[in-house]
Amino acid sequence: MIELRHLTKEYPSRAGTLTALSDVSLTIEDGAVYGVIGLSGAGKSTLVRCINLLERPTSGQVFIDGEDLTAAKKKRLLKVRQSIGMIFQSFNLLEQRTVEQNVRFPLELVHAPKQEAAARAAELLSLVGIADKAKAYPAQLSGGQKQRVAIARALALRPKYLLCDEATSALDPNTTDAILELLKQINRDLGVTIIVITHEMKVVERVCTDVAVLSESKIAEAGKVEKVFSDPQSEIARELIIPELIRTVKFSGGSKLRLIFDGSTSDMPIISALALELHEAVNILYADTKNIDGKAFGHMVITLPEDPARADAVVRYLAARHISYKEEI
Amino acid sequence: MQTLLLSKELLELIRDNTLLWGVFETIYLTLISTAVAYLLGLPLGILLCVTDREGLRPLPVFHRILGFCVNILRSIPFLILMVAFLPVAKFLVGKSYGPAAMIVMLVIAATPYIARMVESSVKEVESGVVEAARAMGASDMQIVLKVYLPEAKPSLIVGAVISTVTVLGYSAMASTINGGGLGQIAIFYGYNNFKDDVIWVCVLLTVIIVQIIQELGMLVARKTDKRVRTGRKRKCKSK
Repeated sequence: MIELRHLTKEYPSRAGTLTALSDVSLTIEDGAVYGVIGLSGAGKSTLVRCINLLERPTSGQVFIDGEDLTAAKKKRLLKVRQSIGMIFQSFNLLEQRTVEQNVRFPLELVHAPKQEAAARAAELLSLVGIADKAKAYPAQLSGGQKQRVAIARALALRPKYLLCDEATSALDPNTTDAILELLKQINRDLGVTIIVITHEMKVVERVCTDVAVLSESKIAEAGKVEKVFSDPQSEIARELIIPELIRTVKFSGGSKLRLIFDGSTSDMPIISALALELHEAVNILYADTKNIDGKAFGHMVITLPEDPARADAVVRYLAARHISYKEEI
Repeated sequence: MQTLLLSKELLELIRDNTLLWGVFETIYLTLISTAVAYLLGLPLGILLCVTDREGLRPLPVFHRILGFCVNILRSIPFLILMVAFLPVAKFLVGKSYGPAAMIVMLVIAATPYIARMVESSVKEVESGVVEAARAMGASDMQIVLKVYLPEAKPSLIVGAVISTVTVLGYSAMASTINGGGLGQIAIFYGYNNFKDDVIWVCVLLTVIIVQIIQELGMLVARKTDKRVRTGRKRKCKSK
């Protein structure tokens, strides 16, 4: 379990103190895939770097499995860091080492026997699916392949935790999906607790069990993903879930309804069915849904008919089919 | 036999192997001095990097003092530095003239230069890579030995080549303290005897030595660098 208690991080500068984190408290349970989402400059990167003390908080404590890391001696800190893997947006591979040597790097740091290290590296490279690139250098790899190497390297010492700092932000959508799938698999099969830092709601939606929304150095909202996603309390969470255009532009017609597909409904053509059965043509303002393993994920914003009775019929129709919805603005 | 182009003195220098010996002495002075200076400059450069404000162990006051000393030594013209440090040479090698004293001078002049070269090479290593190593629990020493030096290797080699050529340039001033090499031949036999062709031959030989060091060094640097080039070659092979 990772516990952050009242973390505050300030950077002194000539122009005055810059506050990156302000009294942030979080608990990350073992086995979770914990997302931390926020706009750039919200303090996400600082937050994740405080977990393994790459950045020392100005005040507050970090507990890893009940141990106060902020009070630990340097030697102990280095030891604990070995149980916390980390991957980055820019991959940060050692450019002068082959893929295999990169994966062996953390094993070299702890003076693991050569044969054992070689076996472990081979095992990890096949786990992340790039065993054939073992002798290649990072410069010869694509972004997705580089991130796979970084993941293999981060797992070399069998960490309990894996920190992902915008790990998919430099990748194209297809590669992002593949990497997220790999992270999910690692969480499921190896039981690694994963902390995902991102500015994309899509990433949280795809892999996370829990989420904390960071805004202006503070936690605006935190909880289970389904909960925050279907019923965001804070303005910033709403902003991240629904694109700005839909929220600000005035559309004609009745009130807006946001349908939430959280995987509990099958991927049925709900709008077409509604049109056919109720003879009601609703306007789709925005839709971002995906069919994953026959289940629907994502959300859709539609306008309701202006006539209250007809609007009510639509709402009842949706409720009867167990579609979660929320009235917007 | 007297040709139109070459003076008797020059032919004599060639015949009794004085020139050949000069070439050998120049190379020898340069390589020994650069090697010793590198042994001193490398840790110094790393120290400058590690104690920097953004470094692994920031020590601002120490860093500033060390940087200041390096700058002072670097800003003294070599000829003046040589005269000023004669007592040091006398203390270290027992003489304030001759090739041994010359090596001392070259080392004193080259060490701060190399330290700055090493510092800038190491600073080129992506800070993200260093951060990744820290996140894995690497100690500061491990970061220096396993990240800084291997990752900066191609750049360090380029720096070493440039340093060697600079030292070679300094070594030409050896005649001042009877330090030997082509520089001394050019002054003693050429300039002092009004034999311009001797000077030009010495210059030509020096140019050739510089070219060889430069090309050889860059070749090694390119071969060691895994960041580019190798990719294309390998891909072709596998097809």
